[in-house]
Amino acid sequence: MGKKKKRPSKVWCYYCDREFDDEKILVQHQKAKHFKCHVCHKKLSTAGGMAIHVLQVHKESVTKVPNAKAGRESTEIEIFGMQGIPPDILAAHYGEEEDPSLKMPKIEVPSAGLMSGVVPRSVGIGFPPTYGAVPPVYNPAALPLQPPSWPMQPQPQSWFPSNPVALVPPPPAGLAQQPLFPVQNVSTSLTPTTTVLQQSFQVAPPGLPSSTPTPLPQPLFPINNLSAPDVNSSSSNASTTGYNTPSNQGGGTSYTSSHMYASGPNTSGPSIGPPPVISNKAPVPQPAINEVYLVWDDEAMSMEERRMSMGKYQVHDETSQVSFLCYLFLISVRPGFLQMNSVNAAIDRRISESRLAGRMPF
Amino acid sequence: MSGAPPSGSGRELANPPTDGISNLRFSNHSDHLLVSSWDKSVRLYDASANVLKGEFMHGGPVLDCCFHDDSSGFSASADFTVRRYVFSSGKEDILGRHVAPVRCVEYSYAAGQVVTGSWDKTLKCWDPGGANGPEHTLVGTYPQPERVYSLSLVGHRLVVATAGRHVNVYDLRNMSQPEQRRESSLKCQTKCVRCYPNGTGFALSSVEGRVAMEFFDLSEASQSKKYGYLLNLFQAVAVLTLYGTFATGGCDGYVNVWDGNHKKRLYQYSKYPSSIAALSFSKDGRLLAVASSYTFEEGDIPHEQDAIYLRNINEVEVRPKPKAIHAAAPL
Repeated sequence: MGKKKKRPSKVWCYYCDREFDDEKILVQHQKAKHFKCHVCHKKLSTAGGMAIHVLQVHKESVTKVPNAKAGRESTEIEIFGMQGIPPDILAAHYGEEEDPSLKMPKIEVPSAGLMSGVVPRSVGIGFPPTYGAVPPVYNPAALPLQPPSWPMQPQPQSWFPSNPVALVPPPPAGLAQQPLFPVQNVSTSLTPTTTVLQQSFQVAPPGLPSSTPTPLPQPLFPINNLSAPDVNSSSSNASTTGYNTPSNQGGGTSYTSSHMYASGPNTSGPSIGPPPVISNKAPVPQPAINEVYLVWDDEAMSMEERRMSMGKYQVHDETSQVSFLCYLFLISVRPGFLQMNSVNAAIDRRISESRLAGRMPF
Repeated sequence: MSGAPPSGSGRELANPPTDGISNLRFSNHSDHLLVSSWDKSVRLYDASANVLKGEFMHGGPVLDCCFHDDSSGFSASADFTVRRYVFSSGKEDILGRHVAPVRCVEYSYAAGQVVTGSWDKTLKCWDPGGANGPEHTLVGTYPQPERVYSLSLVGHRLVVATAGRHVNVYDLRNMSQPEQRRESSLKCQTKCVRCYPNGTGFALSSVEGRVAMEFFDLSEASQSKKYGYLLNLFQAVAVLTLYGTFATGGCDGYVNVWDGNHKKRLYQYSKYPSSIAALSFSKDGRLLAVASSYTFEEGDIPHEQDAIYLRNINEVEVRPKPKAIHAAAPL
């Protein structure tokens, strides 16, 4: 650690005004009390992240930070530990002369300041049980906080521990911490990373794959919004027409990047645990993926059924092929429109037809 | 084919089907490989010798195939029939029919029956030893909530996955009603289901590319071990290895091997030229057959030729590792 963060007075929680001995305990407190999902009890890293998680995973809107005092309940304001607290509140809490001293560590060495914020976080984050090498593991999560050039990254790359090697060069060389993560944690940041990495995901845009990023403490990610319109426009295209090739313009690139975890990082070793990491954020990318890339993602038909209806697979057989193929045709022509009821009705009709015709032994 | 695959992907099987491959299976007794294809054929290969040993035609695209023993097998086709073959003599006949394309076929050694699932929303069991003619072989018909998309057997258990994400677990000894009626824990349509060789549960994969590990034991403790991962892009086709690890392949052309218990990827094979339509391990786990065959996930577009690759499997690639550090070099 080695940072000399001597606070003249104790750190305290923005949401509930409780005081703590040091920042890592404060952060643990915030995660357990204010950033915890009330549905699944998952601990997120920020209030905003928690709100987004609840919205996307549990489809519920969270407008207030749990266990927060009146006036401090907004999920819009990004608080992490002692960072992000509006100066007037800070001043009100400490009294006047604390302000400059609080701000200074951040100003003089911008990245170091961030890291001092980050490092205690990485150390203190309440995942001790899972981490042997705690600090370095957290770096991928730390990354999103690094202001410079981060936003240029396609979002998803930030989370995948398999990419820290790739990530290192882009973030500015000013970061002293850089040398840390590429080295080890390619190998060690695995197994137990589930919890942590999940957390880090929530920090960085949970809403992801290439779409709406959450507002981060530092205004890092607005740039990523650029990719969102592409995705959205292509999604509307894909959903209206049945067999559209997924629009590959904006969607394509983000598509590739958002799925790098599955196929990309051969170099850093397949052993890095993408699965646990991804599973947690999985529900989130789902809507975007479904709209944009899955031409055949239609609950009414499987891929084989669509292929079958394509005409070149007409089967020349005696049974009433025609009606079955009609049913398939119906489904393919109006994929979204056709209700399951009518599909079922069509199938049942055919089955009873054949029964009546005495062809089936049952 | 344009763009030869890297040599690491294994050798290509000679005389592959001329259209998409729907499934391929290794025999339990030898290196014979049975391949079913959208070109309406069922082909039998000797994988080690890389020789086509037999070819049988259906009236329509063949959607699934399986071995009975080394000398006979079954296939399920879109022409509504389930056919039986005796490879040595080249004989084939129709075991039975459904009212809609038959999507999957499996042979149960435990029950001595052939089980087929179809888009007509039924599961049928057949007795392959029965006299000729579909009327005499049908053992039973079991209605399903929806079209059957996949089924898998282990011991006496049968797991059926249908459209609408229904999953039914049957005990083959008592098919009057399902042992368990469940819903897939994955949000997307089910692609395929595979039972673990140890009989404790099954892996469900969805078209989105996610695989969930589920357990038969409905007690809380076991259910908490359920796990879902996002593995491959779209359409994960899962296959279980001897060690309890499983391999998946997806539309991205990659085959990955995963350790379900540790929730880690163990290996990733080099990219195949087209989407992975099917995977099968040989009985001793030495060979993996990969069907690299466009699966029409993007509609009818020009695509790479369909091919089957055989690769020799290194034990390290599929065996669960005790600790975190893995060798990174892909083949």
